[in-house]
Amino acid sequence: MRLLVVEDDAEAAGAMVRCLGEEGHECVVASDGEAGLRAAGAGRFDVMVVDRMLPKRDGVSMVQMLRKEGDQTPVLFLSALGEINHRVEGLQAGGDDYLVKPYAIAELVARVEALARRRETGSVQTLLRVGDLEMDLIGREVRRQGREIDLQPREFQLLEFLMRHAGQSVTRTMLLERVWEYHFDPQTNVIDVHISRLRSKIDKGFDRAMLTTVRGAGYRLDA
Amino acid sequence: MRLPRLVRTTPFRLTLLFLGLFAAGAGLFLGYIYIATVGEAARAADAAIQREASSLEAVYDSGGFAALNEAVIERSSSTRGFLYLVMGRDGQPVSGDVAASPIKDLPKGGTRSWASFSLTEPDADGAMVKSAARGMIERLSGGEYLFVGDDVGEAQGYVVKIVNALWGAAALVIVLGLAGGVLVARDVSRNMSALTDVINAARLGDLEARAKVRGAGDELDELANGLNDMLDRLNRSIAGLRHAGDAIAHDLRSPLTRLRARMEAALLDAEAGRGDPVAALRQALDDADGVLRTFGAVLAIARLEAAASAPDQSLFDPAEAAADVAELYEPVSEERGLDFAAELADGLSVRGNREFVAQAIANLLDNAIKYTPTGGAVMLRVRRRASGDVEVSVTDTGPGVPEGDRARVVERFVRLENSRNAPGAGLGLSLVAAVARVHGGRLELDEGPGAVDGQGPGLRVALVLPSA
Repeated sequence: MRLLVVEDDAEAAGAMVRCLGEEGHECVVASDGEAGLRAAGAGRFDVMVVDRMLPKRDGVSMVQMLRKEGDQTPVLFLSALGEINHRVEGLQAGGDDYLVKPYAIAELVARVEALARRRETGSVQTLLRVGDLEMDLIGREVRRQGREIDLQPREFQLLEFLMRHAGQSVTRTMLLERVWEYHFDPQTNVIDVHISRLRSKIDKGFDRAMLTTVRGAGYRLDA
Repeated sequence: MRLPRLVRTTPFRLTLLFLGLFAAGAGLFLGYIYIATVGEAARAADAAIQREASSLEAVYDSGGFAALNEAVIERSSSTRGFLYLVMGRDGQPVSGDVAASPIKDLPKGGTRSWASFSLTEPDADGAMVKSAARGMIERLSGGEYLFVGDDVGEAQGYVVKIVNALWGAAALVIVLGLAGGVLVARDVSRNMSALTDVINAARLGDLEARAKVRGAGDELDELANGLNDMLDRLNRSIAGLRHAGDAIAHDLRSPLTRLRARMEAALLDAEAGRGDPVAALRQALDDADGVLRTFGAVLAIARLEAAASAPDQSLFDPAEAAADVAELYEPVSEERGLDFAAELADGLSVRGNREFVAQAIANLLDNAIKYTPTGGAVMLRVRRRASGDVEVSVTDTGPGVPEGDRARVVERFVRLENSRNAPGAGLGLSLVAAVARVHGGRLELDEGPGAVDGQGPGLRVALVLPSA
């Protein structure tokens, strides 16, 4: 993937580039809003990571500008401000996701990859398939190796999200935000318990476990 | 310098204002009395003079000038009576008891002309006394003149005495009023300056000074009570801030110290080529995450506490919000071997920030699940109270919180001794309380269902929100 990182903190940008590079992504760094606009205009990127607070032109205004020009590249906002209204403001300006500093690199990588994936799957799907696992989005049915698996509504949503991001790490926070739509820290690892329930339904009795825990990151569903 | 300052006080100014109003009122009142009495006396005198003149005119008409003269001479000699003067056609006095007409202009036709004048007469002791009089003069049909007058001084004298007495009283009232105003102003200004002293002390940083409440139950007492209450709150919130600062320092210091020590040890190990630096770094990351979590929670609470009302408010069903959170926590509760139940009323609605309310409910459930031993029960209930408020309560069968500690556990970083080992920073209930406050609601802590099966007495925590 080709990523544009607009971040004025050179050290933070460097760490980001290195870690994203290790995941096989190519990064272009711009250190202020104007440079970000120029870089975005000069090349094609899969995802842009934009700090909200930037010299010359702030991140929100930079993304607004790009959207006005018809640039639909997914944007992940970074911000030291964790307040809900700032998140909403960022999303309204055309951001696609929002991450509060300081963040775990694994969280950043997972979100960037999820954003790139979201862009690929433009068409409306009615059937999801990951290996021998099938999800019928219209009939609300899940089968593995043809055997029907009975899921609660929330377990269905959870599995749907995991299947849409199959092969990628998804973090607990992403699950909490996307499946439950909560943006707070639930302290106890409630997500782990939901995952282990889901795992017992889709993996128990099968020769191979599809849903695995990624240390330091979250979970991954593999074919 | 004492008096000018006193004069500037509000009570004194009010006194002056009321005295001014009183004086104006008294003036109007006296004027009315004057018109009503003196005017009336003058009118009565005029009528009597008129009648007397008419009767003399009748005498003149029937008996001629001679008969008139005779009647005037006769009537003049009676002790108390009118003043008379008959003048010939040339205006020379003919008879009567005044030497000359007080009205110099003799009327031309048959009209009567009137005048007020003053009369100098000997009184009972023989002294000459000036008194007011009214009189009229007319030209008789034969060309002679007749003057009839009367002394109105007596009636007017009484009125003047009354008016003078009233003026005296008014002056007395004004003097007493001013004196009273000064006294009241001094009293009030003494009380006010006691309040001002307290405010000045607070401004200079002494928040311990308190205004004296005199127990009179008046608005000054109310003001003093309000001031004291405000100072109490200010004191508490400053103490709270200081406490929070200390607590943050304390809570962040130990994990930060641990983090530092671990990294230092790992560095030494790595330099010496032994140990597992990866494991040490992982542990360090976990420690850093812990610090950040605590920091985030403290920040969220501080922001809520600083807000006047919850941001991004909308109308929502609290039972629905509670059901969503319950769904999130139900598996955890089951895994911990707890009996989880929810009782959610229909058709409720509150206005607020759904996310914050959900987080508050999550914190309540999190606490209940954390502190209730296996085999216990957790109950989530959303209902409308008789008062109309919406209550979201979580009841558990855990050890509960002793009554004396209930107010305290809501404070930041306060954790009871027996919960020291449970995870968490002691911020959960503080956040719930802050959420309650920005929604105009409150947080209530009670005993749970009591001691049952070796558990209990339990805790019931209720988030009470105003219904929308």
